[in-house]
Amino acid sequence: MKATFKRTLAIAIPAAITAALASGAAQARDPFDKEALDKQNAQLLELVELGYNLWHGSNPEMSSNGLACGNCHPDAGASNPQTFPKYIQNMNRVVQWGEMVNWCVQNPQAGKALALESKDMTAMYAYAMNLHRGLPIQPGLAAQQTKPIPVKYGKGFPSKPSGIGFDTK
Amino acid sequence: MDHKKDRREFLQLTGKAGLSTIVGSAAGINLGVFDLAHAQPGKKVSPFRFAMITDSHLYSGEDHKFDRQLEDAVEQVNNMEVKPDFVLYGGDIAQNGTEDQLAKGKKILSKLDTKLVLIPGEHDWYVDMGGAWKGMFGQDTWSFDHKGVHFIGMNSILVPDFWTAKQMSPRERMAAMEMLEGPIGGLWGVGEKQLEWLKKDVAKLSPDTPIVTFTHSPLWDYYPRWNFQTVDGPQIREILSKFENFTSIHGHVHQTLYNKVGNMTSIGAMSTSWPWPYPPVKLAYPGSQMNRADPGNEVDGMGTLSVSVKAGGDKLAEYQPFAESLTPFLKKGLKA
Repeated sequence: MKATFKRTLAIAIPAAITAALASGAAQARDPFDKEALDKQNAQLLELVELGYNLWHGSNPEMSSNGLACGNCHPDAGASNPQTFPKYIQNMNRVVQWGEMVNWCVQNPQAGKALALESKDMTAMYAYAMNLHRGLPIQPGLAAQQTKPIPVKYGKGFPSKPSGIGFDTK
Repeated sequence: MDHKKDRREFLQLTGKAGLSTIVGSAAGINLGVFDLAHAQPGKKVSPFRFAMITDSHLYSGEDHKFDRQLEDAVEQVNNMEVKPDFVLYGGDIAQNGTEDQLAKGKKILSKLDTKLVLIPGEHDWYVDMGGAWKGMFGQDTWSFDHKGVHFIGMNSILVPDFWTAKQMSPRERMAAMEMLEGPIGGLWGVGEKQLEWLKKDVAKLSPDTPIVTFTHSPLWDYYPRWNFQTVDGPQIREILSKFENFTSIHGHVHQTLYNKVGNMTSIGAMSTSWPWPYPPVKLAYPGSQMNRADPGNEVDGMGTLSVSVKAGGDKLAEYQPFAESLTPFLKKGLKA
């Protein structure tokens, strides 16, 4: 009887250790598989598309004079989300990108500001950041405000500028 | 000119008492007017000057800020010390191509106290394929001689039919063309008919006749994605390659722009509506690139582009920003 107990204990202890190890491994999630990544990406792109539409005037509350973000910022050019938070002169403080968007919405567009945490604002941010993908993050710098972006994403016919001084001739 | 100094000085001005009111009621963010003086002493050309206003993008409704910006440009031209012989309007009077917008533009431009010639932009055209525009302003292709210079106007915003197969309404067609980075309309140009017209128009001119062309878009391949191009620009340049002095002036890009391709000197003008960012291509003449207008300052980015053509044929484009070139509207405000 005693011998049997020892044997049982000897078996039980490694089993407990194995269980503990297994439990520890289970606490870290598995790497995202392709299906999961595709799902995440689809959600992001859905938001990018919403942002694209908002950028071009799909929310009438954002403008009372017909102007949309895209009037002055084609391909989100000169919106530079990667440089925010940044000092903005007319507000005399460092602001986040969404606050700058709301300044444009309320002033040049004479519209109603979006809530910073709203889906619409996140969508606009997703669209603008998507186009600025790959550019260095430089918060606080106004120096990058004129930096143009080559558009590899988004809609539009292919962008193949041939450079200055010559063309397709 | 020390642009940085000008900018500093102007920014200092904004800190002075009283200006904030003026900024709040300012006419706009980017007024574009430029004039060109042409002089070749000893030759048949007489010195003269003309002015250009372009891209007002008027919306429907009353008392829109873009109305005031166009009115301001008209007032500025009327107040030029040396009166222009004529004024060119470079296209995009309207934003959405509707008759009321075009009529509003015509009413404002009628206040010019000098002759007006016009070419269309894509925003004027695609509701009724130029019907209202032609009814108000006449032909979209023309030429005339003035003091020894041959001036040519052409419609450079024509695209192949994309709407019939898609069964688009006139309004949908216009909306597709309104967006600068829109994918649907594709690349535009003047088309075969105008190329044939151009060949005939210049056939009998001698090579020493100065040529100035007006098109909405540049006649070189600047940034096709935003239609900063004219697809048959190379053919136009080929037809005009025999001329010793060929200047192309265009709107559409909403920024000062300068380039030389072959015998062509190309000059782009600012708009009276809004500034567009420079696209991601390198400019051969970085000195001509204006600063991006500060969105926090409604008068930032206003200015006048002067282009002088000297006797030797050299051209100098200079952008005069900020305080020096404030419009009459703002100058009055600054004095008050």
